[in-house]
Amino acid sequence: MVRWALVGVAAVVLVTFPYWSAPWVSRFATTLVRDALILAIFALSLDLLVGRAGMPSLGHAAFFGAGAYAAGITGQRLGTDQLPVTLGAAALVGALLALVIGVLVVRSEGIFFLMLTLALAQIVFAIAFQWTALTGGSNGLSGVGRPVLAGIDFSAPDLMYVLVAIAFVLAALVIWGLARSPYGRALSGVRENERRMRALGYDTARLRLSAFVIAGTIAGVAGALSAYSTRFVSAQDAGLANSVRAFVTVLVGGAGTLGGPIVGSALVSLIERVVPSLLPTDLRISEAILGLVFIGFVLFARQGMVGLGRSAYQRVQHR
Amino acid sequence: MIEVRELRRAFGGVVALDGVTLTLAEGERRAVIGPNGAGKTTLINTLAGETAPTGGTIRLAGRDITRLRSWQRARLGLAHVYQRTELFASLSARDNVGLAIAARRGPYRVFRAAPRAEYSEGEAVLESVGLAGREGVAARELSHGERRQLELAVALAQRPRVLLLDEPTAGMSPLETARITELIAGLDRALTILIVEHDMDVVFRLADRVTVLHEGRVIADGSAADVRGDVRVHDVYLGKAVTVA
Repeated sequence: MVRWALVGVAAVVLVTFPYWSAPWVSRFATTLVRDALILAIFALSLDLLVGRAGMPSLGHAAFFGAGAYAAGITGQRLGTDQLPVTLGAAALVGALLALVIGVLVVRSEGIFFLMLTLALAQIVFAIAFQWTALTGGSNGLSGVGRPVLAGIDFSAPDLMYVLVAIAFVLAALVIWGLARSPYGRALSGVRENERRMRALGYDTARLRLSAFVIAGTIAGVAGALSAYSTRFVSAQDAGLANSVRAFVTVLVGGAGTLGGPIVGSALVSLIERVVPSLLPTDLRISEAILGLVFIGFVLFARQGMVGLGRSAYQRVQHR
Repeated sequence: MIEVRELRRAFGGVVALDGVTLTLAEGERRAVIGPNGAGKTTLINTLAGETAPTGGTIRLAGRDITRLRSWQRARLGLAHVYQRTELFASLSARDNVGLAIAARRGPYRVFRAAPRAEYSEGEAVLESVGLAGREGVAARELSHGERRQLELAVALAQRPRVLLLDEPTAGMSPLETARITELIAGLDRALTILIVEHDMDVVFRLADRVTVLHEGRVIADGSAADVRGDVRVHDVYLGKAVTVA
């Protein structure tokens, strides 16, 4: 009970951030945290594959991008800003695309899985880039409307933030609920020893496909939130760089943990958005810094920031 | 319970199974012996559905399962204990067994922990193989002998009708071997067991009948006592893999 109360308090503090932080930080902080939370939702969904089920996807941005386009296009074509419609479209398109790609990839493993997801996501990117009539092509899709739900208009920056933060809390609860249940344990089993899982009677291809679809759905929602927030969808949202960004976020934070993708997204956001402002304007090297940080974690801290935290905690306890 | 007819399997030019026919009655305990390379592990893997046969049929309780995948066979009641340990290395002993128990109800259960009944069933199975007190230890932290015990526990937790044991005591100390042998001997008599084993003490302690495999063929098949006599006679022919007790 105490634990749930703490989670509740933390959630309320997070969701109301723009309201209590105003005296101390600039408006930019709200935008920064909002975008970090969108990245966190995206990374949490990818970690269901990478960390839990052992499926290293390098094409996860396909679902993020598909969700972003779905929210933007349905809103504009249907002339509606209703959240259930545009967000529902994003989740549905993310799920369906994940089902189609998933059927093609779930039977492959390791490097083959990685390359297949990358290649198929590049096809999605190419379609987004070429199909100008639908997506705006290289110009992107601008003028995406911010959503409305039950009379609440999320146009104002602070309310947009609140929507993202609520979505983040829900996404984290969903991932946590999946991970701790028999379903999550079965995904761990697939990661650890798929052959043995089959010998126990699990249809592992279907199990992997289900995880792929769930992850695609949540990534689609993250894409829609991104489209609402920036009022814009770029083909790059579905591009390789965005897939890599999510992957780096998961690994730097700590794969297979709930906290990992979250702290990872905080670090990645800081490097992308705050570090450049501390450097001279002609020195745009935040991607290089991110690359170096990633290499550092891969070489010296495979378990990510969460792993570093755990071992530091254990060292303190043993003292 | 199991009917194998003319089972064949070739790996390239190497014929591992060259028309094996054998029948196990329900509750029968059958040992398959023979020198290295006789096709014993291939036989078990083919029965488990992990190696596709190039010919022949396999029936389980009258049903043709030759074309079924391993997970479908597992659902029909086949459990496999591997020669080389196949566990979930980073998961606890409890979760290793829990996955086997949960397999019966399927993995699509979310937003709640596994039910209490599955938990206590897992504890009971772990205790039965001698792993009480080790439930929380990750499989990779267990000793070799303990991992073999866990391997058996996982198979038993499936509540199979047929248990395929591929050298369950391989690499164990004499003490551990005796322990596991007694454990298997004490299993429910309704359970059909096919065991591949080099240790003749284990074979004659457990098996009702013994099948001798050589170069992918059945060269002898009979009661344990018959084959025991037979083995003495054919000791030289079977080679040093067979050491008579």
